Parts: sequence; structure tokens; C-alpha cells
Amino acid sequence: MKRRGTGVGCMFYGVGNTGLPNPAAAFVQVLPDTSVHVTVGAADIGQGSSTMAASVAAETLGLEYENIQVSWADTMYAPEGGATSASRQTFITGNAVKNACLTAMGELKRTASEELNVPEEDLVFRNREIYSGKDASVRMTYPELMAAMGKKGRLAVGAGYYNPKTTYLNPADMSGIPYELYSYATTILEVEVDTDTGEVTLLKAVSAHDVGTPVGIKMVEGQIEGGTAMGTGFVVSEKIDVDPKTLAIKNPTLSKYIIETCMDVPVVYPIVVSSEGEAGPFGAKGVGEPALIPSIPATIAAINDAIGSSFTSTPIFPADIVKAWQEQQAAKN
Amino acid sequence: MNKITVRCTVNHKSVEVETAPNKRLLDMLREDLNLTSVKEGCSEGECGACTVLYNGEPVTSCCILAGQAQGADIVTLEGISPDGKPDAVQQAFMDSGAVQCGFCTPGMILSAEALLAKNPNPTEEEVKQAMSGNLCRCTGYAKIIEAVLMAAQRRREEGQA
Repeated sequence: MKRRGTGVGCMFYGVGNTGLPNPAAAFVQVLPDTSVHVTVGAADIGQGSSTMAASVAAETLGLEYENIQVSWADTMYAPEGGATSASRQTFITGNAVKNACLTAMGELKRTASEELNVPEEDLVFRNREIYSGKDASVRMTYPELMAAMGKKGRLAVGAGYYNPKTTYLNPADMSGIPYELYSYATTILEVEVDTDTGEVTLLKAVSAHDVGTPVGIKMVEGQIEGGTAMGTGFVVSEKIDVDPKTLAIKNPTLSKYIIETCMDVPVVYPIVVSSEGEAGPFGAKGVGEPALIPSIPATIAAINDAIGSSFTSTPIFPADIVKAWQEQQAAKN
Repeated sequence: MNKITVRCTVNHKSVEVETAPNKRLLDMLREDLNLTSVKEGCSEGECGACTVLYNGEPVTSCCILAGQAQGADIVTLEGISPDGKPDAVQQAFMDSGAVQCGFCTPGMILSAEALLAKNPNPTEEEVKQAMSGNLCRCTGYAKIIEAVLMAAQRRREEGQA
């Protein structure tokens, strides 16, 4: 018999390392041709931290994304970035890039102020132009500003860092401020369970994520789709089989540790929820691990809803499902 | 160990490779021909990262001995865009955001090329079947499937133009 079920998983997630200082830094230089070199320690393995750094730099400096070149991760030249973990790089390295850009803008503002006869605090840097916030007709282009910088022998360089406002936790009762910033998410997932074979078909998932200000919406969607799919795999097919005596992993191969193919994953509908006013750069928050987390309880709950079981741990293999279903039917009779 | 000589076509050029008889096609392509788009993932034919086209068919090059390439026509990702300009599938992967860490991408693209060469108008289900031998841990596959369908549509439109 095939039975359908729906499950909901909700989570909130502290972005950054728990109750510890975990700073990250950035170096920035705006070059005479208006291109920008940003250097960060964050390791980009495809999740998009370098794209994020370029976006934050462009927004802060009033230049275009295409003007920004990012070098990253090499400890020969890059500053401390901390671990690329805890979904922290958008928040922390992003703020470091913003701070480094603001420092580099000190000389840019001084020069623009002199050239335009506008007080520094009234200057607006946007779309490759600098203008007075009080009279937008008083303006100059970025190439004009960099030419003026060159004539005066000034360079636009900056280093900056950011450390989240957390406290150490009191070991007696764990009180304190473990995180400065939280991400929130909910996944709703529908499955079909075959009670004869125990096979679970993952039908569809809707996953909504409060990411603050999304930096690159396609990248955020990609993180949500990938995380949601991975979470379902943890429930239906992935088991790390550890030998209790040797503690060796007995299935360290992809033929014995089964991850989902494109035929197995549910259709994922990502919903990117924007929120404002938080501590990340321009309000951005982490989405890496949050994308994964609610999908796991949602999948377990959907299976429980389908067959009336009470699973609370992963993985749930077909044999477990058949056993649970048969025990339940026996109890009824 | 005595070397063997493998004569085959790699990326549209005839090559003659002196190589060790115990090498896999994967090793010959990476080590002897420096075609490093061919990735070694699981080494047991499960993940598809080492996929190449072997006489037009997508195969896992970790499960083929170099000697078996004798006389065959082999295409790697480098042979898809010999002029350095991305072809329709590669462009669609970029446009749809189908690449995250990128390790599965060369194999994914070659599986897609093999499908589209035979079936220029695949359904979503046919795309999924054709790509099911290539594992991806990052994307959840959504944007990869979208990219293949996008490439198919663009090629059809180009063909009509």
C-alpha cells in the first residue's frame, strides 16, 4: 500500500562560532583604473564567498561588481579569515570587507570633498559616481576621482576586520551571548511510502529561509536546493557504518554510502525570505548549514505522518519502515 | 614494466601514447595527456566525475584500462570547446547557476552532451535518467537539470535560426 505524508521542520541557527571570538579580516585597494583588489582569508569551495566579498565591496564603494577582483584563502598573502564553517563568512568576512572598504574610502572622501567643495559626510558613492546628497548636480565620476587622487599622490587602501559581538558562556549555566546573529528556516516536505517494500519516494519540498538581505539570489537558491536535498539523503539512504571495536568507517565508498542521484531528490521550491536591520553586511546572513537542517526533521516527520510511526533518528531504511508498519498493524489486530 | 602504445583519437586529434599497461583510461588522460578536467571521484564507477565520451557514449574512465582505448574516439571536456569558447551546455551551466564546487561539472556536461547528441528534445524525465550516473553533493541537481533543458532549447532555437 502506498501512503502519503507531510512533515514540517523548523530551525533557528546561530551564525558563527559559539560563544567565542571568531574574527575575519580583509584588505582592499581601489586602483587608478577604478578596478578594486580585495583579499580575504575565506576559502571559496564553490559556495560563493568570493562572489559575496565582491558584491559587498562594490556596494560599499559605489562601484560595479565587475570592477572587483577577489584573491582568497592563500595564507601567503591573505589575512586571517577563520574557518569557513558555521555559515559565518557572509556575516563576518562580509563585514570585514565592508570595514576595509570604508577605511580605503577615507582618502577617496577627502579628495572628493576637496574637488567638489562638499563636506565629506554629504558625499554619496553610487553607480561609479560621487555626488552631493544635498545637490546631486554636484558630481564627479570615479575615473575623475581616481585621477585627482593620482595628482595628489594619494592611495585608496584599507584593512578591516570584524569580530561578532558574542561573550564567552558561563560554564556553570551556559548563560551569555553565544551568537550575534541568527538565521531562521522552515521546510515542509511530502513523501510517499510503500508499506510493502519500505521504499520512500521524496515528492516535493518547500523550504523558506530568512537570509537577511540575499547576496546573489541564485546562489542562495542553490544553497537551499542543495541543503534540502542533502538532508533528505541523511534520512533515507546515508549511514556512516562505524565498526564499534576499531572505530573504522566500514563503508567509505560511494557504492556503500549511498547519496541521492537526480532521480531520488525531491523537487525543491526555495523561498528566499528577506529581513532587515541585522548585523551582517547590508543585512546579509548565513545560509549554508541552515539550508540543510530543517529538511532532516521534515523528512522524518513526513514518514511518521505517512505510516503512523514514531521514528526520531536517522537513517530510516526500508527494512525499518516495513518493520514499523507491520508492528503497528499487529498491534491493531 | 614494459610500456604499451595506445593509438586513439582524443579530442578530435590522433594521438599515440606510450603508457603503462596497468593504467586506467582516467590515468592516461590525466597523467600522460594532461587532460585534468577528467576528475577522479570514487574510483569505482559510482560517481561519474571521470565521465568521458567513448565513441560517443558516456563512460566512467576509472573502470576502463588505457589499452581498451585502442582505436577509440575519446572526448573530454577540453574537446567540447576546442576554441576556448563555452558551448551551449557549458554556457547554460553558468547561466543557470548549476556549478557550485565544480568537481562533478565536467562529467555532468559530458553526460549531457551525449544525451543531446542523441535526443535534442529530451523531457525532464529523460534528462534525469541520462544524468543519474553523475553524483552531485552541492546543488541538489535542480539547476543542473534546468541547465541541460536550457541548453537543449537554445540548440534547437539556433538550429531553426
